[in-house]
Amino acid sequence: MSVILNRILPLSLIGALLAGAGLVQKSLNRDRDELGLTRVQPLENAPPVLAFTTVALGGFRGLISNALWMRASDLQDEDKFFEMAQLADWITKLEPHFVQVWLVQAWNMAYNISVKFKESSPGQFPDRWRWVKAGIELLRDDGLRYNPNETLIYRELAWFFQHKLGQNLDDASMYYKQQWSYEMAKVFAKKKPNLEELIHPRTADEQERARLLRETYKMDPQFMKEVDERYGPLEWRLPEAHAIYWAALGLEKAKENPTKIKEDDLITLRRVIYQSMLLSFQRGRLVTNPFAQAFEFGPNLEMIPKVNYAYEQAAREDEKNRDHILRAHRNFLRDAVYFLYEYNRLADAAEWYKYLSTQYPDKMLLDGKTNSLPANLTLDQYAVARVQGDVSDSGGHDRTEGIVEGLLVNSYRSMALGEDGPAAGFRLLAQNVWSAYQSRMPTERLSAIGLRPFDEIDQEVRKRMLDQREGEPPEVRAALRAKLGEPPEVSAPPTTTNAPPEKASSP
Amino acid sequence: MQPLLAITWLTWKAAFRFRLFLVVAVLLLGSVVGLPLLIKDDGTARGFTQILLTYTLGTISALLGLSTLWLACGTLARDIEECTVQVVAIKPIARWQIWLGKWLGIMSLNAALLTLSGGSVYGLLQWRATRLPADQQTILRNEVLVSRGSAKPPDVDKEIQAETDRLLRDRLQKNPDTRANIPEARKQILEQVKAELQVVPPGYMHIWEVNLGMAKPLAPGQPVYLRVKFNAADKSPSGTFEGRWRVGVPRKTPLWQSEVMSLAPDTFHEFEVPPNCDEKGVLTVSFLNANDTALLFPLEDGLEVLYRQGGFGLNFVRGLGIIFCWMALLATLGLASASLLSFPVAAFFSLGVLTLALASGTISNAVSEGTLMGFNSETSRMGHSVIDVVAIPVFRAVLEVINLAKNFSPIDSLSTGRSVSWGELGQAFGQIVVLLGGSVGLIGIIIFSRRELATAQLQ
Repeated sequence: MSVILNRILPLSLIGALLAGAGLVQKSLNRDRDELGLTRVQPLENAPPVLAFTTVALGGFRGLISNALWMRASDLQDEDKFFEMAQLADWITKLEPHFVQVWLVQAWNMAYNISVKFKESSPGQFPDRWRWVKAGIELLRDDGLRYNPNETLIYRELAWFFQHKLGQNLDDASMYYKQQWSYEMAKVFAKKKPNLEELIHPRTADEQERARLLRETYKMDPQFMKEVDERYGPLEWRLPEAHAIYWAALGLEKAKENPTKIKEDDLITLRRVIYQSMLLSFQRGRLVTNPFAQAFEFGPNLEMIPKVNYAYEQAAREDEKNRDHILRAHRNFLRDAVYFLYEYNRLADAAEWYKYLSTQYPDKMLLDGKTNSLPANLTLDQYAVARVQGDVSDSGGHDRTEGIVEGLLVNSYRSMALGEDGPAAGFRLLAQNVWSAYQSRMPTERLSAIGLRPFDEIDQEVRKRMLDQREGEPPEVRAALRAKLGEPPEVSAPPTTTNAPPEKASSP
Repeated sequence: MQPLLAITWLTWKAAFRFRLFLVVAVLLLGSVVGLPLLIKDDGTARGFTQILLTYTLGTISALLGLSTLWLACGTLARDIEECTVQVVAIKPIARWQIWLGKWLGIMSLNAALLTLSGGSVYGLLQWRATRLPADQQTILRNEVLVSRGSAKPPDVDKEIQAETDRLLRDRLQKNPDTRANIPEARKQILEQVKAELQVVPPGYMHIWEVNLGMAKPLAPGQPVYLRVKFNAADKSPSGTFEGRWRVGVPRKTPLWQSEVMSLAPDTFHEFEVPPNCDEKGVLTVSFLNANDTALLFPLEDGLEVLYRQGGFGLNFVRGLGIIFCWMALLATLGLASASLLSFPVAAFFSLGVLTLALASGTISNAVSEGTLMGFNSETSRMGHSVIDVVAIPVFRAVLEVINLAKNFSPIDSLSTGRSVSWGELGQAFGQIVVLLGGSVGLIGIIIFSRRELATAQLQ
């Protein structure tokens, strides 16, 4: 009896209590998680050393993190950056669930530290790019690994792509875009992105590139395709597409944890999407310039309907900022009409001009011109006024002729690149600018301050561009001659020779 | 001399008997080999080398420092507590010789360990450097694995002070009845005078003349490096400001001009320029401010010219020399405290002193603010306490003493390719070993000589 009382009963009781605690523990953990009562969830996906460290150090890891943070600040004040990557790594890993720590450390590297570095040679900013990339990698590779559902991290990552790489505020932004496009070229095999071959890779090369995309860039080609269909077509070699991807992924993750998400966080994610869509529309098309071994940007006109929808949706959802969004929407529509016109897509331009007029009938189309309401301007007048800009105010002869020449140069360059639409659009604009100026001049003054005949300007521009000594590079000239149906140029006689000089005088 | 060497030898034997030498050597070598595998650099060969030097030498200093302190406390205190010192003391050997013999033993151990670990770091660096691409090797050899001296524009502080006083006198003569706060007025005039020498208005050019007379013969044809820093009056949307640099004097020396450089304010920038000095060795540097805001180059560190002074090897040895001086002080401190205290108390006391020295930032803040109470942000005034009357002078004195040892930064200099000069090493030896170590050692020797050894035995 005493054995039962002293041993078996307590042991049974212990067993029952442990089993009970085990049953309750799950629901307790769920409640704590939902109510936000704990910040020390077990680390997921962490390497064993890190998991052990966070558990073993307990609350003390905050102290160590603070000490490291102070050291990082001191070093930064002394302009010593070589330790920063290591310190940021340690600080974030000591507080892996503290989202602000990730955001601050990544921002510090991408924004504060990067600009401290100068260009290594004109236009080359490898040091800055390394730090911007380090900020992106910290969030993408580690921050999201330990916090896969934190919308703030998705928002920040998307913002880096949209603002730091996409916008032109940093002197090195063009370099960043170039570097990013080189990186993406490895994924897309230096050709126009084809997501299907990465979703279902067949060859060894496709499999390798799909692995690179998933493991290095942490992107899912299937979701990329969904994003492309929803918001695109997107140019995946440009940063805006990636900003949209990460913001869209943030929205998806938010759906999985609706109780933890604030509405404001979702608004910022949506904002990144429509702002990046605008950027993609404005210059979201890569035009490879084989002559300069570089790329140029062009507007992505196929996106217009989706960008328009994104703006309208954002205006509906974000009451607080509706006025701002609608103003941005109007600006977008003005650009859309102008770009379509410029690219010789006159029917589309007319359609969107009509839409703009319907949506904003009482808003000026041209800044500072009170009578430029849609009812008072035709599409042609609007497009010409846009390109003329302040020329119409000053009425400058030289300036207008310069603009006509510039548009013709653009037209011929587009032609050489095989961009026939823009080539025709630029030419049409040049003609319209010329006509608009001439029509404003009184007939009796035309001989004095009128422009030269359009054909004459055109011939001169063409001659200048085809000039062997001062014109475009030989490859561009050859392409242009072919397009214009002119015969290949005859080589100019060499100006120097390797032959030994003739003797100046006879002995 | 023989008794001294005998004690030194006994200390060595004890270190080996307790396997201390082996353990510390393994730890040191482990840190030198292991740290490069663990630490994350910024992705450049330069960054990797800098972080490697900083972490390995930092770890070596810390490990060696702690083991020195521990050994110094242990070797004497335990000998006293276990009465073994009595066996030695009855021999024909003076107490000071026992004390000094132990110090020499510890320091020779340190010398061996420092040579071993320092040599490993040096070998590792050289080995890794040879495996880098040629362009990275050039950067390393020119900017990190090198010993670079520094030259600055002439110090014009006296002239500034004189001009400030003259302007102040002029103003006081013009307004004799003024009731202005004279020190504050002088401070403002001083800033105005300094501003004329520091500020580069938009579109203007600023010229510095730096005398490289001493350096020129040492570096024929070698490039020099400009290290510049400026502050901006306004913020720039891009975060950077543009300017053009020129080195040389037209029609007098070869002239070099940079492309327009886009530089961030409030940070140091370093770039290579040709050494276009005139016949007197003066390098003329000019900067054109191409922004629409004024830029300010501080007189203290706005512009500095770095030039190659020697190789990395000898610089590295001098750097280790300063670390060795620190070890000498720690050995002295440990032995001195063990002369009076038992082993645990001596170790605790020595570590306490070391912590105080390492945390001198707080003391320094109190001294610079002139109070222990700190700054009250609500009233925008410094706090005040009666304790300040005593505490601040004491803190100032303590800080002066600590700075005698702390005002050297060999690891920092080595990792940034700066020269650790023989003069600096000599100064370190004088201040740390002779002055501080000598004073503490003398106290320790006196205490040890007067101590009744037989009363200290353990139960």
